[in-house]
Amino acid sequence: MAEAIRGRGKLAYKFLLWFLLISLAPMGVVGWHLIDISQTVLKEESLRHQQSLAVGFAETVSNYTSTFKTVLTIASRLEGFATMDPVKQERHLNRVMQQHAAFLEVSVFDAAGRETVRMGRFLGAAPQMRDFADQDSFRAALDKGDYMGGLTRFQGLYPTLTLAVPILESGVGQTVKRGVLLGRVSLNGLSQMLRQEFPEKGRSQAAVVAGDVRDSFLVAHSNPAEAFKTDARLPEEILKVILTQTAKRGGGEVALSDGTRVLGAFAEIKDVGWIVYVQQPIESAYLAATQMKAQVLRVLLWVVVITLLLSLAVAGHITQPIRVLQQAAEHLTAGRFEDLPEMTLTNDEIGDLAQSFVQMSDSLKEKTGELLHAKEELTKYGRDLERRVEARTRELKAAQDELIKKERLAAIGQMASVVGHEIRNPLAVINNSIFFIKTKMAKEATIDPKIERHISIIQSEVKQANSIIDEILTYSRTREMKPEVTKLNGWIDEVLSVYPFPPHIRVEKSLDARDPVVAIDQDQMKQAVRNLIGNGIEVMPQQGAVRVATSIVEKGWVRLDIGDTGPGIPQDVLEKIFTPFYTTKARGTGLGLAVVKKVADGHGGRIDVATEIGRGTTFSLFLPLFDPNRPSQPSQAGAAARPAVKPPITAPASPAARTEPPQTARAMPGTRPQGT
Amino acid sequence: MAQNQPVKLLVIDDDAHLRESLAEVLELDGFECLQAGAAADGIATAKKNNPMVVIMDIQLPDSSGFQICQELRKHSRETILIMMTGRFLSAEEKTQGFELGADEYLTKPFDLQELSVRIRQLLSRGRS
Repeated sequence: MAEAIRGRGKLAYKFLLWFLLISLAPMGVVGWHLIDISQTVLKEESLRHQQSLAVGFAETVSNYTSTFKTVLTIASRLEGFATMDPVKQERHLNRVMQQHAAFLEVSVFDAAGRETVRMGRFLGAAPQMRDFADQDSFRAALDKGDYMGGLTRFQGLYPTLTLAVPILESGVGQTVKRGVLLGRVSLNGLSQMLRQEFPEKGRSQAAVVAGDVRDSFLVAHSNPAEAFKTDARLPEEILKVILTQTAKRGGGEVALSDGTRVLGAFAEIKDVGWIVYVQQPIESAYLAATQMKAQVLRVLLWVVVITLLLSLAVAGHITQPIRVLQQAAEHLTAGRFEDLPEMTLTNDEIGDLAQSFVQMSDSLKEKTGELLHAKEELTKYGRDLERRVEARTRELKAAQDELIKKERLAAIGQMASVVGHEIRNPLAVINNSIFFIKTKMAKEATIDPKIERHISIIQSEVKQANSIIDEILTYSRTREMKPEVTKLNGWIDEVLSVYPFPPHIRVEKSLDARDPVVAIDQDQMKQAVRNLIGNGIEVMPQQGAVRVATSIVEKGWVRLDIGDTGPGIPQDVLEKIFTPFYTTKARGTGLGLAVVKKVADGHGGRIDVATEIGRGTTFSLFLPLFDPNRPSQPSQAGAAARPAVKPPITAPASPAARTEPPQTARAMPGTRPQGT
Repeated sequence: MAQNQPVKLLVIDDDAHLRESLAEVLELDGFECLQAGAAADGIATAKKNNPMVVIMDIQLPDSSGFQICQELRKHSRETILIMMTGRFLSAEEKTQGFELGADEYLTKPFDLQELSVRIRQLLSRGRS
């Protein structure tokens, strides 16, 4: 059962699913929101960072330009600069240019706008003096105090800025404008600074732009080479965003024409109105957010895995007792009560269930045992009943057979009776006719002895036929018993004395000295005895002895033996000798012994036979002794008076077949004894 | 009756052969035998001829021997009535026959010599 419990059932997986749902779904939702929020924050932070960079650089740019303006202002306000001769001014300005490499040109204009001093790094020895009277730069510096603008590309390459300040002469109480100091400053330094602050990598870049969308001027770029181009411009889509803004600062994602997106921020530079633009590719700008997302996802994955494993363990643990129960139930179903798996009774509902289950299985076991026992009993009773039914059936069958046999015998008897009567008439006629012939012939003088002989044969045969009919009729007749109390010894003596024994037969008598008394129907009994003697004589054609004996055997029984010293009866014949109409003789009805048996039965007795091949056969007739205390026995009516006790069983009577009762020789076979 | 005059007998039986053979045998013995094949015929013959002995079968096609017996006994008290039967008779039947006036029963077949002797015995004794 260990292997069965090791596995997990469906229930465990259901638990697992629910655990995962319960534990992971909220976490997933919360995590997702957190990531979302963090992403937003991070992006905003990135943008702000960009903006602050832009603003910071705008400051830098502002400082950068004002530095040079300040330099010019200081220079113009040098003591006596206004009144200095141009040579001195030139010398002075030369120093300024040496200190500040960004100055490409410096010029001095008088109040009328004529150039008085012109110094330049790339000018020849005697540069041409210009008239700036109508120039914006001159007019603005003279009228408004200073000028900053005039973005141009020096020699078509370097972006330059023109600065101009008035040259003032401070008198008592008033200040007089003597001219304008104008400088042209290279803006390369800005690009260098941008390059340092925003080293170009990927698509990160920073730039300073002036002008409007249509006419923009790239002042500086983190990649200086960009700024030095004659037609240097930022991409159109960026320019559209930053140059159309009214806000002083801002930023956001920008989709570029090549399909990439960047995070851009801008800030306006005060005084000059230029825009600082800082750009970073989305990927790097949002790197933190992306990394955080990946980190969170990794954590989530771990959580899922750990939850999964934990849930598996928990689900298995929770469902294990249930699986044990299930297994136990299967065992119960299979009827293996003794083979239940061990159940640990935990202190919870499952434990209670297991407890109930154990009780239930015990009860089931008990009930099943009872059921089995009952079944066994039932089977036993069933078998017993079957045996009884069989026995009764056998008895019934035997009784039925007996009945059928009796009925058949009765039918045969009836038929024999009818046939017998019908034959008697013709026999009587034959008899009469023969008698007539014989009588007639007796009166003749000469008689043919052969005819006489044949007449005798006919008479003899008619007698024979008559005696057969007699026998059949005797057997088939149902006559009332007429028992008479008789002294057996005396009676048998009388029977023997009148029996016509042939001379070659000896008669040996051995009668019981106690002189047994019986109640018998003398006529019937005589017929039986004569049949037995006749049979005995018939099997001893040469010589032999008929042995007649009486003896009281056991209590209340007398045995009458009639034996011969003939050849004995073979076994196969012995079994049938008492069957009516069974005969081994050429002439015989097969009723002699049947009559004997009928008489014995009629007296409540029994007939036995003992035979030995070559030695002889003895028939034993058992009869109940007369008991004067039982008056019913000898009653005249009492054919039915049967002894209460059954005839004793003696040594196994080997059934013997003997044949027919002898044709009992009667002096006048045609007539029945009549009381005359 | 004179000794030289033959004794008159009547045999009533529906079996012609039996009747005839019986009559002939008895005639050989010196009786004069009349025959009848049925009860009515027999009774008529008996009344007309007054036989000394009537031998009759119990079973006849038109009547029974018992009735003939009864009838003839009314006619004559002296006639010797002998009944013949082919079957065993119960004691009741025999008693009934004797009460009706039968003198003797014969069970077929019977010994003719014996019959002859028996008839003469009955004749010599006479009915009384």
